[in-house]
Amino acid sequence: MTDLMRSTTARWALGIALWSVLLALATFAFVYWQTAAFLREELAETLRLEVRAAAADPAGAAARVDTWVAMDLHATHYGGLFGPDGGRRSGNLDAVPPDLARDGEAYRVGARVDIAGHRLDDEIWAAALALADGSTVVVAHDADEIDRVRTRSLRALGLGLVPTLVLSGLGGLLLAGRARRRLAATEAAVAQVMRGDLGRRLPVGRHGDEFDRLAGNVNRMLDEIERLLGEVRSVGDAVAHDLRTPLTRLRARLERTRDHAGSVAEFRAAIDQGLAWIDQTLAMVTAVLRIGEIEHGRRSAGFAPVDLAQVVREVAEFFEPIAEDKAVLLRAAVEAGLPPVDGDRDLLFEALSNLVENAVKFTPPGGAVRVGLARSGMHAVVSVDDTGPGLLPGERDQVFRRFYRAERARQTPGNGLGLGLVAAIAALHGFSVEAEASAEGGARFAITAPLRDEAARRRAQAEPADPMPSRAAGPEA
Amino acid sequence: MARLLLIEDDAETAGEVLADLRERGHVVGWAETAPDGAARMRAATWDALILDRMLPGGDGLGLLQALRREGDRTPALVLSALGTVDERIRGLRAGGDDYLTKPFVLAELAARIEALLRRPADTRETILRVGSLELDLIAGTGRRGTRDLALLPRELKLLEYLMRRPGQVVTRALLFEEVWNYRFTPKSNLIDVHLGRLRRKLEAEGEPPLIHSTRGVGFTLMPDD
Repeated sequence: MTDLMRSTTARWALGIALWSVLLALATFAFVYWQTAAFLREELAETLRLEVRAAAADPAGAAARVDTWVAMDLHATHYGGLFGPDGGRRSGNLDAVPPDLARDGEAYRVGARVDIAGHRLDDEIWAAALALADGSTVVVAHDADEIDRVRTRSLRALGLGLVPTLVLSGLGGLLLAGRARRRLAATEAAVAQVMRGDLGRRLPVGRHGDEFDRLAGNVNRMLDEIERLLGEVRSVGDAVAHDLRTPLTRLRARLERTRDHAGSVAEFRAAIDQGLAWIDQTLAMVTAVLRIGEIEHGRRSAGFAPVDLAQVVREVAEFFEPIAEDKAVLLRAAVEAGLPPVDGDRDLLFEALSNLVENAVKFTPPGGAVRVGLARSGMHAVVSVDDTGPGLLPGERDQVFRRFYRAERARQTPGNGLGLGLVAAIAALHGFSVEAEASAEGGARFAITAPLRDEAARRRAQAEPADPMPSRAAGPEA
Repeated sequence: MARLLLIEDDAETAGEVLADLRERGHVVGWAETAPDGAARMRAATWDALILDRMLPGGDGLGLLQALRREGDRTPALVLSALGTVDERIRGLRAGGDDYLTKPFVLAELAARIEALLRRPADTRETILRVGSLELDLIAGTGRRGTRDLALLPRELKLLEYLMRRPGQVVTRALLFEEVWNYRFTPKSNLIDVHLGRLRRKLEAEGEPPLIHSTRGVGFTLMPDD
């Protein structure tokens, strides 16, 4: 229950209950005020008419006053006809109430009125009018009736308030309890996640309300966290596994050499082989670290305008001999006149190298690899197309994950880090990289980079007065 | 034969580097901390400095900057476990002449020291000659003896780099940095393929070899006479 009182929902419920009580009070007050005013006006009007009727007929005034007094069964009517000397001629009032104006209007007067010899300790409404002969006619009525309305109203209010309070309180508790139950299930799930069970998800209701949307979002966040953790775990596993293979080989080779090698040449051969295996493991560790460094790096000092056309041509040129040795036709198709992009030239060369290297590696002899640079709106697209086996549709996003080896690449040497590095470099630059099916039959990898001074160049074209209108776009290579 | 100072706090690494460089005929001093290194730099003249970035008693780059401010222009090679582009740029800005990321191959370090020590003078020569090899930098033509060599632009640059350093071992990484002007470690066989092509053009059937490979290290252009 303390938990319940602490919860926001319970406080809201309590607040709503108090508010409804306040509204009920206000309604009662208004109804009472309206009723009392109506009764008062009604009474005053009766008194006004009565006193005027009595005054209009001086001869019958005494009889009229007596009739007024007598027609009341509850002894709440008072009246009197007083001579110019103040002496009573008829009615039950002993004297004209003091301070009562004789103008025919109804007034509330204090209870200093004497009726039939005894003092009335009450308030009455009275109207008085002077007659032509100097006498005075007074008609009065008890105020008890209006007072009773107040009493009744207060009692009704009291009687109604308790159920209102109880009902709205109950409703509030019900609402709070319901929210509480929904929260409790969520809290239990969250607690399990906190204990390390990342597979747990929050219950999502069918209402589609804010609560369900929040739970849905939290679930999607948990999905992402689980995926990332899984990736980290699988990277760790893959590193350990890929390190163990060459280390196991190395260990066996060292052991065998120690026991059986008989000549310096044999030792030397074993050491050379061992060094090669160690280099292989070091290369992998370095690649993993590099990806990490690039992923955690920020845009930085190394960034400068890079002419992608030059990078594309130089990568193509760099790989041309090895492609030729493999009887793969490597071509570069570069669109002229693209402005530079912001980036790190070494890293961009490395990323494109990895793509071209893969393309050449997976393209069978007689095939072709095309490295392209083309403008697409405000972006430059660097692409590598090959005529190799291509990627399965389901693999297109996965290939950029560390240590992922495509189904059709299992027989080819590699550590599954090349495309991971490409993805990291692209992400560092804010470029996007995609794998798709190539029109040439194999795989196509495309890096999309925003052009550096597209906007500046357009401004320059619009204003020919600019001292260097077209240099920015001038192809350097 | 050169006088080298190594500032490195890891005794194992230092031991290997010292042994390797001494075997290659250099006189090598060793300092373990930054203050010690600074003292030894000021006490004597050295031909080159090899220093680690992370040192007890001070940052290697800070030491290098202090030396440069004092007017010390000794060629310096910075060693570091940090390999990112930023770190390298920082190392070079602090006054380093070269930057090598750990772990490194000893032969690579030796070749880079060699390159620092024998930095070719910025000569005005436009015709380079090594043995029977002749390269005209202005015309962009090469000849071996009387035979004209049909060289592609990149092959010309490659040959120029080698001809300016006859007899010196140049590693693949150095070639990639200096000839291709990119800095990362490409798959080693790519550089080999490029050199193989150049070699086939330089060494027609029956001619004595000019480019010699050093296994696991790099290449050397040797005069053939």
